[in-house]
Amino acid sequence: MKRREFLRTSTALVSSTLLFSTALPFAAMAEGEPVKGGTLIWGHSETTQNLDMHQTGTASSGRVLQNIHSSIVTVDANLNVIPNLAESFEVAPDGLTYTFKLRPGVKFHNGATMTSADVKYSFERCKDPATGAVNFEVFNNVAAIETPDDLTVVIKMSAVNAPFLSRLSENGAGVIMPKDSGPTQGTNPMGAGPFKFVSYEVGTVVKMARHDDYWEGPSYLDAVEAREITEPTTRLTGLRTGELHMINDIPLDQVEDLKKDASLQIKTWFPLNFDFVNMNHTYEPFQNPKVRIAFDMIIDKEALMQGALWGQGATTASPSFPTSANYNKDLKQRPQDIAGAKAMLAEAGYPEGSLKIVFKATTNYPYHIEAAQILVEWFKQAGVELTIEQLTWADWLSQCWVNKDYQMTMMNFFTLWEPDFLYFSVWNSTGAFNYRAIKDQVIDDLTAKARITVDDAARADLYKQVQQQIWDQSHDILLWFRNGTIGAQPKVMGLDTVVHPNGSNLNFHKVWIAA
Amino acid sequence: MTYVLNRLLSLILTLFLISLITFAVTNILPGDVAMMIMGTQSNPEALAGLRQSLGLNDPLLVQYGHWIGGMLTGDWGNSLIFKKPIAELLGQKMMASALIVVMSMTFALAAAVPLGVWAAVHRDKWQDTTASATSLLGVSLPDFFWGIVMILVFARWLGWLPSSGYKDPAVDLLGALRHALLPSLALGLGLMAHLTRMTRSTMTGILGQEFIRVARAKGLSEGTVVWRYGLANAVGPVITVAGLQIGYLFGSIIVMESLFNFTGMGWLTYQALLNRDVPLIQATVFVIAAVVMIVNLIVDLLYLVIDPRIRLG
Amino acid sequence: MRKFLTPKGLIGLVLVALIALVGILAPVLLDPALATKMYMTARLQPPSAAHLLGTDQLGRDLAVRVLMGARTSLEIAVVAVVISVLLGLPLGMISGYAGGGVDNVLMRLVDTLLAFPALLLALTISAVLGPNIQNTTIAIGVAFTPYLARIIRGEALRVAQMPYVEAARAAGTTNLAMLGRHILPNILPVVIVQATISLAFAILAEAGLSFLGLGTQPPAASWGLMIQASRDYLEKAPWTGLVPGAAVALTVLGLNMFGDVLRDVLDPRSK
Repeated sequence: MKRREFLRTSTALVSSTLLFSTALPFAAMAEGEPVKGGTLIWGHSETTQNLDMHQTGTASSGRVLQNIHSSIVTVDANLNVIPNLAESFEVAPDGLTYTFKLRPGVKFHNGATMTSADVKYSFERCKDPATGAVNFEVFNNVAAIETPDDLTVVIKMSAVNAPFLSRLSENGAGVIMPKDSGPTQGTNPMGAGPFKFVSYEVGTVVKMARHDDYWEGPSYLDAVEAREITEPTTRLTGLRTGELHMINDIPLDQVEDLKKDASLQIKTWFPLNFDFVNMNHTYEPFQNPKVRIAFDMIIDKEALMQGALWGQGATTASPSFPTSANYNKDLKQRPQDIAGAKAMLAEAGYPEGSLKIVFKATTNYPYHIEAAQILVEWFKQAGVELTIEQLTWADWLSQCWVNKDYQMTMMNFFTLWEPDFLYFSVWNSTGAFNYRAIKDQVIDDLTAKARITVDDAARADLYKQVQQQIWDQSHDILLWFRNGTIGAQPKVMGLDTVVHPNGSNLNFHKVWIAA
Repeated sequence: MTYVLNRLLSLILTLFLISLITFAVTNILPGDVAMMIMGTQSNPEALAGLRQSLGLNDPLLVQYGHWIGGMLTGDWGNSLIFKKPIAELLGQKMMASALIVVMSMTFALAAAVPLGVWAAVHRDKWQDTTASATSLLGVSLPDFFWGIVMILVFARWLGWLPSSGYKDPAVDLLGALRHALLPSLALGLGLMAHLTRMTRSTMTGILGQEFIRVARAKGLSEGTVVWRYGLANAVGPVITVAGLQIGYLFGSIIVMESLFNFTGMGWLTYQALLNRDVPLIQATVFVIAAVVMIVNLIVDLLYLVIDPRIRLG
Repeated sequence: MRKFLTPKGLIGLVLVALIALVGILAPVLLDPALATKMYMTARLQPPSAAHLLGTDQLGRDLAVRVLMGARTSLEIAVVAVVISVLLGLPLGMISGYAGGGVDNVLMRLVDTLLAFPALLLALTISAVLGPNIQNTTIAIGVAFTPYLARIIRGEALRVAQMPYVEAARAAGTTNLAMLGRHILPNILPVVIVQATISLAFAILAEAGLSFLGLGTQPPAASWGLMIQASRDYLEKAPWTGLVPGAAVALTVLGLNMFGDVLRDVLDPRSK
């Protein structure tokens, strides 16, 4: 229940977008030659629910399924789309035709060889509303999927959709399942990934075994056991006692201390997601940009990050990946200026004591509650009375996300790597994730234009302008990127390869356990 | 005999009432499972599609009818989030919880009864106060506190027992017991307060009675008097209270099982509630309520056997 | 009254008086702003000269918070228990005294409610009424009512069958007089004892519910909220949980000892 991260994003971070930091034990083990064999016991922080890759929207299932499924294309460390199950691909100059040449001899877990029919089946299943697929809209502009031969897939679009290819680089949309395997994917997920599904004891453990015919070469590990342990203290204890080889999601306040612990490896990477404070644009005071900007000035983002995240993150004025082409480096966060904020609020017609705001925070992310408490103190100094209302995740989704019934709140998003998915969904007035009811013509125009701009540099520039506009108008208050963490026994090797460029999923293909 | 039949009939009526309340409550809870599945990917279009495929659009009466009809014919439906047949889930998880419920009750009684007797025998003296204080500790701090203490002490520092997880006793009995031990101990602590107090007050009442004085006058040792004559008579009320505590116990396992990731009914109920998995909520809540009712009935009937002097309704 | 001079009586009396005093005086004598003041450079500090009982994860002084929290926690607990007594006493008394069909129906209802996990009740109340502190208090009070009703019913049943009570009934005393003059005084001791132990559960119930976002909202101090917040830090900073925990434990202890002695004083049976 607690740190459940429900949001999965479509793609990853680019290049060394994932900045790693590892603390190795003193007697650092030289990596040495990979050892074949062994079962990795992973303490997973969340409960896996739906195992159907199309239907699941949760990060928890995504992490597990990353080992069972492969997508048609993927991204490299720089977030460039590269071949995966397709050995090459081509986009027509007009952007309306995508041609994929599939890799020959890719074997599914059931022994069957992947052909274009499987690709067609998988994509059409995702698109079909009856499937209830979370990422069905990726295929909205797909007019036809043709399979001229066993190893060629041609996708014809009805309209230009610049982000299409990058959306396919994640399992949510680009996963390739064996033809007709849909009905059983929920209970017996089957794909072409490095591990095959063995069993799932609900709430207890997901067992996977090496897929010997994995196209990239078999994994070193014989098997992976994903044990579900949601309680952080219990999970950490399991790592310490040796019951677990590896855990994800270490309590933030302990990370620095654990790094000094010689008996464990701790890996942190960044970013995992970004957090921002939201103001509901249907609430009158928040329709005035001066109020929003003043609120931005009340918050000391660095101090808040230290307070809520124990330093496990980095502040940012932009939600784009720091090393991606569309990250606006020139944007800086407004520094804290309580006096200035008070003046600005008075100017806007809200003198001290006149604003009483309810801040809804979800207990699903305990660090949100901590952040909220710190905000209360600062806002008090600025003459604004902030009261906190704690909501369970279900209530937050219902009240804030769906019904937009709130004044102020905060949320995180797993870095939506593909800028269209990020900026359009979150800030365009018709965006699916625009729960703040933001209507900004400038942003609408920019995001719509970017969607059909094929030139990368021009696209990147458009998105930079979007970020500037968000900042100018202070539509939301961007806070920080949060770190991801994993802890492991010293004998677990290959940890650098575990985290998928999207910052969330974990893949154990190249992990091995030293003797 | 008529009394028993009466109770059985009212049990069925009560079960029906429970099903109604469960259904009503489940449907009052805001937020629905489609939203939970999609999380922040939720958008009206996708939600509508998912809801339809999950059967959430049928009128309430129809859904209720479906549910009751299904239960009676053995089809408990599927969990919307786990995608597994509920009957299967219930079976497994019920076994797990039964294990810790029995174990924790055993521990609690094993500790509370001697403590209560001790307190009663030395009433008002320091022993009484100490016994009170000890038994109250269990109830003064919340379950998760004791749970975490158990994990830290026995799993981390002493390394004697596993810190989490569940093992099927049919497959690995020793492993099952080892995994169930810590949660049971933590749960047992919460029961002790009531049981110790009950034992103490019942024993006090009994020890003040005529037949005890007679036994002492006959020259029987204090030990025999207390344990054979005294306790034997106190057993009834104590067991009754213990039985009533089953309800409280089933409430506690919701938190405790999640802490230890001991996947039993408590854990399942919690997952269901949190995710608004309507069929699963209905099933787990109904089953727990029904079990508690049945245990209460058994306890009441036992009481009838133990003390027929009490005229009941 | 002599009973209060026993070790048990004295400890109980002193603890109860102390905690009541703290509850009443702390918010008056201490600056409320201190309870939420954050010393960000002194987070999760063990007890020291600067912070006598240590600090919590946001650098707030635990000593100040635990003292201020007394008022909040006790208020919630007392009101909740009062609600449960106001509802459960008549229910149990009438049920036990009347017996027969009335008893059957009422107790079936009570048992049905008892069978549901409190968590569900809490979620429902918050859904229907809204998650604020008043509603949480009502929820706790209502949740405790069935248990109290059942205990009281048992007692009323027992008392109703006592010879002198039956005699009074035979003599033609009205039902109301029976209840007021004969039943109530005899069951009062049990009610008091149950109420004292319920107070403890009420405080803890608030702790459990704050987990779901109900009850006291942060950054306000209440023992329940403090205990809940300490869950993740128990290994590294146990005092964050032990300080409010000890406060609850002492309150529970005091109330129970006080209640025990009070019952001994009031209960005609234990002469």
